[in-house]
Amino acid sequence: MLRPCDMMAVCMARLICDGETVFHGVSSHLPLVAVLLAKQTHAPQAVHLNIPGGVDPQRPTLEAFTSAGGTLLETAQAQFPLSEVFDLSMRGGLDVAFLSGVQFDNRGGVNASVIGDYRKPKVRLPGGAGSAVLIPTAKRAIIWRTKHDRRTFCETLDFLTARGNVSDIITPLCHFKMYAGELILHSIHPNVTIAEIAENTGFPIRYLAQTTTPPPTEEELAALRDIDPLDYRNLEFR
Amino acid sequence: MNKLMDLAAAMAQIPDGAMVGLGGNTLNRAPMAAVMALACQGKQGLRLVKTAGGMDVDLLCFAGCVSSVDAGFISYETQYSLCQHYRSAVQAGKVQANEHACYTVISALRAASYGIPFMPVRGLVESDLVTANEYFAQVKDPFSGDILNAVRAIQPDVSIVHVHMADARGNAVIEGPQYDDILLSRASKTVILTAERIVGDGYFAASSRKADIPHFMVSAVVHAPRGAAPGACHGVHGVSDGELHSFLALADAEALTQWLTRRHVHA
Repeated sequence: MLRPCDMMAVCMARLICDGETVFHGVSSHLPLVAVLLAKQTHAPQAVHLNIPGGVDPQRPTLEAFTSAGGTLLETAQAQFPLSEVFDLSMRGGLDVAFLSGVQFDNRGGVNASVIGDYRKPKVRLPGGAGSAVLIPTAKRAIIWRTKHDRRTFCETLDFLTARGNVSDIITPLCHFKMYAGELILHSIHPNVTIAEIAENTGFPIRYLAQTTTPPPTEEELAALRDIDPLDYRNLEFR
Repeated sequence: MNKLMDLAAAMAQIPDGAMVGLGGNTLNRAPMAAVMALACQGKQGLRLVKTAGGMDVDLLCFAGCVSSVDAGFISYETQYSLCQHYRSAVQAGKVQANEHACYTVISALRAASYGIPFMPVRGLVESDLVTANEYFAQVKDPFSGDILNAVRAIQPDVSIVHVHMADARGNAVIEGPQYDDILLSRASKTVILTAERIVGDGYFAASSRKADIPHFMVSAVVHAPRGAAPGACHGVHGVSDGELHSFLALADAEALTQWLTRRHVHA
């Protein structure tokens, strides 16, 4: 049985090209595992950047409570902390930033701030962390979101935390891609129907071709178990 | 000068309404012992500053100590989920959430540490944060004429940083990730340290590892082993799952008071 967390981790990893600089932040176990997977498979020269500042940690011990802990620095070869990762992005040197949010429209807008009014919110969300500066400056902002429903993928955002270079959005159901300024369906994960995606998306689903996301290979699944033996990639689904 | 004092005396230096920078990142090396002491002393109107906060901000909001929070992200991360007390205090209008991108907190602290009133920032190209918050504005590059976004400087009255090692004068070392704590120390008017370990006066002079925070920036040093618990302190201890759950289960302010008292007695 293919689990959404494994499909998402693999789908995110495949978007990382060899040699690219890649950053993930807090609350980001799925992208953390995806970066390690990419480096162990097709992109060994990708540069793994993170908040504690460990450049390319070697087989780090993952921690459940954080994706920004000291173990990412412990086995790294160089230090390059958060402030410098931001600086890198500001001067155009960051290839990929993994970010999330709570609402997304079909024009690459992200809301991670509030539901309702900003000053008197119905729901105060954690906040966009790096989103407002990274989404416009990183070459590609790859979004992951483990919820796929009509409140998440909606026509109108309650608040625009950031818009900019969102390139892909990965959910448990599918892989969206930005194409000519519009978020379109790129591929449907195995065992999911297009009707299911349409039902759970608050804007019309458009696509160029109906394709299925290639399922994880045996090699990818074995690497996932090796990198993340305690299954933290599944934390958001527990 | 010997700046060693107990935690209560150090926290008593912080007046109501102070702007307080908090070290660490989410559940990593946040100055939790100091935060709990602030709550016990019933501080009011604190204006908190942090790039990514967690239990520290949540607990102070729960205890009613906070008037505003300037931060990019407030959550326990995934495992312990959302900061419900921060959230409900903001939703009830008791606490003003000043949302930044983490980088604009860094840029605002850099401005303070450079002694300038604001810092231009890239990004924020299309964001409601810019119009919703008066600490963002647009500036013209005097050389090219280009328009840039800018963030107003943030100079905390005091920052509280939990460190691995300090001497009695306030020279301090952070092992492992330093997060934004060194910048915080330079941007703030003064620094209060809580330290896992106090070393002798000659320690740093004899060591090849010099202090990250020099003594002249520091006004108080507190010996506080496990001062980041129930959060983690890299290389010393991980998170205390039981204590975190007992805190997250607290129903109201009275339960919080009992929890803080029980913890204080055990300490």
